[in-house]
Amino acid sequence: MSVFRHFSRKLVLNTFKSDIKLQINTHCSVCLRFLSYQPIHYDGKPDPGPVFIKKEVQTLLRTLTRVDLAKVFKKRRFGETQLQQPVYKFMTDEQLQEAYEEAKKKVDTFLQIPPVVAVRKPKDKVLSKDPALQGLDTSAFVFTDISYGVRDSERMILVRETDGTLREADWETRDRINQLYFPVAQRQIQTPKMFQDSNLEDLLKRGEYNFILDRACLQFDPNDPLYQKIVSITYQCVNDNNHFNELRSTRHFGSFVFFLAWNKLIDNLLLDIIESEHIEEAKALVELYSHIHQVKYESKENLQQIDEYIKNHASKKAALELAFQAYKNAAKRKGEVEEGIKRAHGLS
Amino acid sequence: MASQLLNVTRTLSKLSLNTKCRLGNTLIKLEQELAPQPLFSNPSRNTNFFNKLPAHDLWKGITSVSNAGKKRGRGKTVSKKNIKDLNRGQIIGVGKANIVWPGLTAPIIRGKEIVEQQQLPEDPERQKKLDALRDQMGTHRYAKLSPIERGWSGAKMPGRSIGPPDPIGEEVFTGFDSKVIELKTVFNMKGNFGRKRRVSATVVTGNQNGVAGFANGKGQEPKTALRKAKNRSGQKLMHIKIFRNHTVYHDFFTQFGATKIFVQQKPEGYGLVCHRAIKTICEVVGIKDLHAKVEGSTSVTHVMKAFFLGLIRQKSHEEIAESKGLHLVEFCKENGYFPTVLASPAKCRSPDEIKNDEILDFTQYCYDGRVVLKKKKHPPFYTKHKSYEIYLKKQEKLRNKEEVKMNLIAQYGEIRSFLTEKYPECRPYKEPKKEQAEEDSNT
Repeated sequence: MSVFRHFSRKLVLNTFKSDIKLQINTHCSVCLRFLSYQPIHYDGKPDPGPVFIKKEVQTLLRTLTRVDLAKVFKKRRFGETQLQQPVYKFMTDEQLQEAYEEAKKKVDTFLQIPPVVAVRKPKDKVLSKDPALQGLDTSAFVFTDISYGVRDSERMILVRETDGTLREADWETRDRINQLYFPVAQRQIQTPKMFQDSNLEDLLKRGEYNFILDRACLQFDPNDPLYQKIVSITYQCVNDNNHFNELRSTRHFGSFVFFLAWNKLIDNLLLDIIESEHIEEAKALVELYSHIHQVKYESKENLQQIDEYIKNHASKKAALELAFQAYKNAAKRKGEVEEGIKRAHGLS
Repeated sequence: MASQLLNVTRTLSKLSLNTKCRLGNTLIKLEQELAPQPLFSNPSRNTNFFNKLPAHDLWKGITSVSNAGKKRGRGKTVSKKNIKDLNRGQIIGVGKANIVWPGLTAPIIRGKEIVEQQQLPEDPERQKKLDALRDQMGTHRYAKLSPIERGWSGAKMPGRSIGPPDPIGEEVFTGFDSKVIELKTVFNMKGNFGRKRRVSATVVTGNQNGVAGFANGKGQEPKTALRKAKNRSGQKLMHIKIFRNHTVYHDFFTQFGATKIFVQQKPEGYGLVCHRAIKTICEVVGIKDLHAKVEGSTSVTHVMKAFFLGLIRQKSHEEIAESKGLHLVEFCKENGYFPTVLASPAKCRSPDEIKNDEILDFTQYCYDGRVVLKKKKHPPFYTKHKSYEIYLKKQEKLRNKEEVKMNLIAQYGEIRSFLTEKYPECRPYKEPKKEQAEEDSNT
């Protein structure tokens, strides 16, 4: 009897297992669909760094970020289990103004845009081959220059392989060794599991864009191919779902817009901006496009430049034209009403 | 020894049912047959509590207290739950041996025949019925309260919820809940009646959203007292300001009689850290986070009155800013110390208008210049011992253990080391799941 029970139990377990496998299979099919977002790297042809660092481009990106202090200074938890009791202060007008100034200084550090650079080239320079050392040990040796004042990217890290070759350490080893000797706070030696495709997909589905981008900034260097993969997929997802407000007023909006402009994907964003009647930003976006792709507009006036972009470069021409026309009509009517009011008040 | 045996037989003889025809003769004979008594014997008394009184008096003595005794607080352990009357359910003539006694348990003549005494087969049901009856006695228990319904202590009323006040006409107290603060017996001397006992109840009622009231009610029974207090408290409602729907507007000091309370505003998630009466009031009012220190008398009614006084006297931030003539600004760590203006006066004062001795600290202003005495916390005694030093040294190498464990579990799903691959049998013991363990033991 007991034997039979045992057998049936096994049977049940096995059937359950097959169920689980099936689930996993279905999950994988979802993964495949998700991976339709192709990671887009900055491959260095041409190098985006010099364009990105230009002063005009930086100001344009800052304009497009649309700084909202309430959002920049929104409540965040810093790993504490309990909230802190706020401090209340009596302030005169001057003191309050000073406090605001102080806070505005902090905005720059909060909104520092993560740099956009080309993806790094693989390191595989062999320094020497010494077959005499072959089989000296069963594992490779890593030699690291741990003297202070050397940048992580320039630190000398060499590997003596078991077959006797002495070569430069590849980037993965470099990252690991750098984190080992000169740890960056909260950065992990192994890649966090959230960046695995299946987990990343779940996060994107939940719209945790800021979480992904913040953690990616912390974990990787900006020229890491994995960083560019994760970030590009997230940007594409944001762009496709029109979730621009999630990234606005955060440090990531600048590099996001740059990514869109670089890959000629700005139409969704431009439509969003025109529909929300932020015409200054639309102008900045079109200008950014011209900076990156060396497009010269014939007219100098802002509205006409936007018009020109829509006519010549946009892929969603119809929608954009419609929205732009609607904006123009609304603006015209607004102007008329204002003039009427002024006239009614006897001002002109 | 022999004499003791003798005493026992004597008492037995006295206790026997047919006390009239004593067995005196046999006893005398026994005495005669016994060996001569030793010179020294233990003095013994042949009367005691149990043979002086008849059975019903003994029964009464155990199961009841006199009225005078009750007034003096005697016989507190005497209660019906401790008493089992073994006579209940027993009938004279009916016993374990199922015998028919004509004239006692059966008629003498049935029809034309004379009923004879005879033994019937034993009735197994009888003992069962008796046992069931006895089990019912003395096992009365109060229904156990669920932890949610429970008050401050056991099944006592204080701290318990008693529902909203009764509706008055068509006016219904929707969203209200009442909680008992105090329930006690009070006495009153009357010329003709003497000491008169009543029950006094104090109840707070509120809608968990800034409206609350408290009242006292008296009655003969706890139930009536509670009802009266509850309904009266519904008539004495007051508005209480709640900051961001979770805490008090500012720290404050409040006093009633000898009871002094320092109340502190706390951030969300802190909870109610205070006297239990204050906690109950907060629950009814709708305050979720607060810290309160009671100094002086902790009389519950006084604490309640003091706390209500303090709540009512709270100032809103606009009032504070207006009276001070300055902006009231909040700095929060969570939003990067960004200045959030809570309230601004109609006209802000300039720095020259502020006096030198003016209180500018917000907490000081709220406490009206009082300072809470914070006792210095001394390190525990063992920190000075040599053994503690050794303990700390030994612990140092384990300081990161938990974190490493968590990381390993996150990464590999188990705790492992660099040797795990080489020796796969060496794994930390995992307690098998309960169901599985049972199955294994069965097979």
